[in-house]
Amino acid sequence: MHIPDGLMWPAILGIGWIISISMVWYAVRRTRSPLARERIPLMALLGAGIFVAQMLNFPVGGGTTGHLVGAALATIMLGFAPALLVLTTILLVQCLMFGDGGVTALGLNILNMAVIGCGVSRIIYGSSPDSMKRPSTIAAAWAAVFAGALACAIELGASYWASGGSYGIPMTIALPSMLGYHALIGAGEGILTVGVIAYLRQVLPEIFASPRRQLA
Amino acid sequence: MNTARYALAVVGTIIFFAIGLVLFFLFSADYGDGLEKTLERAGVTEGEPVFRAPLDYGDDYPSAFLAGLVGFSILFLLAYGLGRFVIAKRAP
Repeated sequence: MHIPDGLMWPAILGIGWIISISMVWYAVRRTRSPLARERIPLMALLGAGIFVAQMLNFPVGGGTTGHLVGAALATIMLGFAPALLVLTTILLVQCLMFGDGGVTALGLNILNMAVIGCGVSRIIYGSSPDSMKRPSTIAAAWAAVFAGALACAIELGASYWASGGSYGIPMTIALPSMLGYHALIGAGEGILTVGVIAYLRQVLPEIFASPRRQLA
Repeated sequence: MNTARYALAVVGTIIFFAIGLVLFFLFSADYGDGLEKTLERAGVTEGEPVFRAPLDYGDDYPSAFLAGLVGFSILFLLAYGLGRFVIAKRAP
């Protein structure tokens, strides 16, 4: 779901940059805590692990593939603000070192996958009772991917409408296609996320000892 | 998490990646993701990138595995460095 250069209307790109920079700035300020400081090695390892997991696309049918985004995984393990910084760092490296996603579209990619992904995960997982953590993990992972795809579809449709067809694609194609594919990709994200979280709960139970503190 | 557990986690991640990459090349390497398929349906082709990145993900197993290791290392060092300089220095 990495948006390339030249696809979106420049004003939409600008909006993406403004929102993303604001949210990253907010996240940096929110992570000024001793708890976050202790977790810097974990944040780095999780970011590196999510990077390689994102390289492993899996088939979802119809000649389409998806890959783990990792927004829900990072949010559940670290909390919203540190997870947003981890996802932003991943997108930065993918863009500047590997050409995955356009430089001009980096703001929108951070918005769709990091800000919206981590935000939706935080709302769904954070508002669920302790007895519902496993189903809410699947729901958060699925919704993070689906909401990011919805945002991307709206950006594509808005670019097409605002530019008179020079940028983006018609909303009538963007919405059903993006949501259809990412409903399936989100299911894969849910299965992978709940599997990784279940494994990490076994080997690193201390990380999940005080989830309410982590979700700030 | 002590150093030994971090080292174990790094080794585990690389083994997971090495095995997962086999499955990727067997089942997924030839297909596009959801956004690429959507653009294909709309008849849109990707233009030239504004910035040419120095690396790519590779087209075969050895180069993709190397790209993964390089990316893993860059990400770990960058995230750790940013964490130390941005979060730790600003913490009260």
